[in-house]
Amino acid sequence: MFSKLYWLYGFFVLGLAGMGQYRGWSMDTMNEVKNVPRSIRDNPGAYRSIYSSYHHYTGGK
Amino acid sequence: MSSGTPPLPGSTAKPQVKALNCPQCGAAITLRSFQQAVTVVCENCHSILDAKDPTLKVLQQFQAITGEIRPLIPLGSRGKFRGTDYEVIGFQRRSIESDGIRYDWHEYLLFNPYKGFRYLSEYQGHWNDVTVCKGLPEVQFKLVSNANYLGENFRHFQTADAVTGYVIGEFPWQVRVGERIAVTDYVHPPRVLSCEQAAGETSWSLGEYTYGNEIWKAFNLPGQAPQPVGVFENQPAPTTINLKQVWMTFIMLAVFLVGLMAVMDIASSKEAVYSASYQLPPGPQKGEASFVTDVFELKGRTSNVQIQTSANVSNSWIYVDYALINQDSGRAWDFGREVSFYSGYDSDGSWTEGSRKDTVIVPSVPAGHYYLRIEPEADARHPAINYSISVRRDVPVFGFYGWALLGLFLPVLYVTLKSIGFERSRWAESDHPILQTESD
Repeated sequence: MFSKLYWLYGFFVLGLAGMGQYRGWSMDTMNEVKNVPRSIRDNPGAYRSIYSSYHHYTGGK
Repeated sequence: MSSGTPPLPGSTAKPQVKALNCPQCGAAITLRSFQQAVTVVCENCHSILDAKDPTLKVLQQFQAITGEIRPLIPLGSRGKFRGTDYEVIGFQRRSIESDGIRYDWHEYLLFNPYKGFRYLSEYQGHWNDVTVCKGLPEVQFKLVSNANYLGENFRHFQTADAVTGYVIGEFPWQVRVGERIAVTDYVHPPRVLSCEQAAGETSWSLGEYTYGNEIWKAFNLPGQAPQPVGVFENQPAPTTINLKQVWMTFIMLAVFLVGLMAVMDIASSKEAVYSASYQLPPGPQKGEASFVTDVFELKGRTSNVQIQTSANVSNSWIYVDYALINQDSGRAWDFGREVSFYSGYDSDGSWTEGSRKDTVIVPSVPAGHYYLRIEPEADARHPAINYSISVRRDVPVFGFYGWALLGLFLPVLYVTLKSIGFERSRWAESDHPILQTESD
């Protein structure tokens, strides 16, 4: 019984991986914004990204 | 279990209970197994009597607090167990001692005048239906001895001296309190093969793990059977999963996954749609740092978009704030990426940290006309940094397959660990524990 269920589960996982690749899913995080005004092309500085206050790493060993 | 095979009754006459009196205390003695009993124990004064003697000669008397042990199945209980009517006619407690700890178990003697004797043993809620072997098992002495009975192999579990501590009812052998018998158990769940040796006599019995509720139902006992404690030597595993088969399935699925990865890699267009190189001037930024790229077109189905940033940083960093913007719909994906690379030399030798390349995947981007808004940033004292950006669509993401492999592996790991844990518990009490820790 477990073996059959595991086969089904396995094909589901494989299908999910294939679907993810086909549909272009990603594991990277990003913010999606809608209705960005066309004027951004002429005035890029008017766009405010939520990532602009990123804390940068300045380390090294 | 007992010494020798119990004889079956020769006549088919209707069985009758025989009533006698204890010669020691005068209490009524009931003989339920007729001519089959060899000894009978007076429940009142705990005298072990010779059932074959017409005067019930006293063989032994032992001290016991009345009601010290109350059998879970009272003597005289009748029930239909596995298709045959039985009456409980005897009960004994036996024990073994290991590392100074005494382990007690109880044995119930069942009798049917036409079928003979049968035994039920109980240890901490674990029951076994025991019958005397009709043939002689074959024992093979290897590193771990095995026994073979009717083609079934049993693995040695434990050898110990069992001592009878309490008896009540009647028995088809010369029962004695304090009697010491060497017991060797061989297991092949759900069965256990037991060898009992005393005074040059050897007897074999075969037990099959039985659930308490079946016994409770058979003898119509009140309440519920006690919950089993721990894992018993011949207790069947809670899951009947064939681990070898499961691992084979996992390997086959992993091979399919590799095949899928190869197919998807070949099928991915990996189409380069935009690339450009830029320079971030040295020192603090003057004026607006952000700018936009030319418009590029993403064709085909909805797919991922890979943006790769490469920079000639050395002991410095560049942070690029990106927005991938659909010119037609105004939809944008906003993200920031950092490229940093550090290197040096210390007492351990040379070291490096970071990378001069960074890759990010934007998910499920539909076809259309796009541009990037780019806002680079670096340390105020940085030299000029040259960096380049390349954009590809429909690229293979191998991380998916890694997660998928993990997803396939986790159930296998779970059932394997569960099975190992169960077997470890089983064998922990044996002469051959699987893993012995210092605390064991």
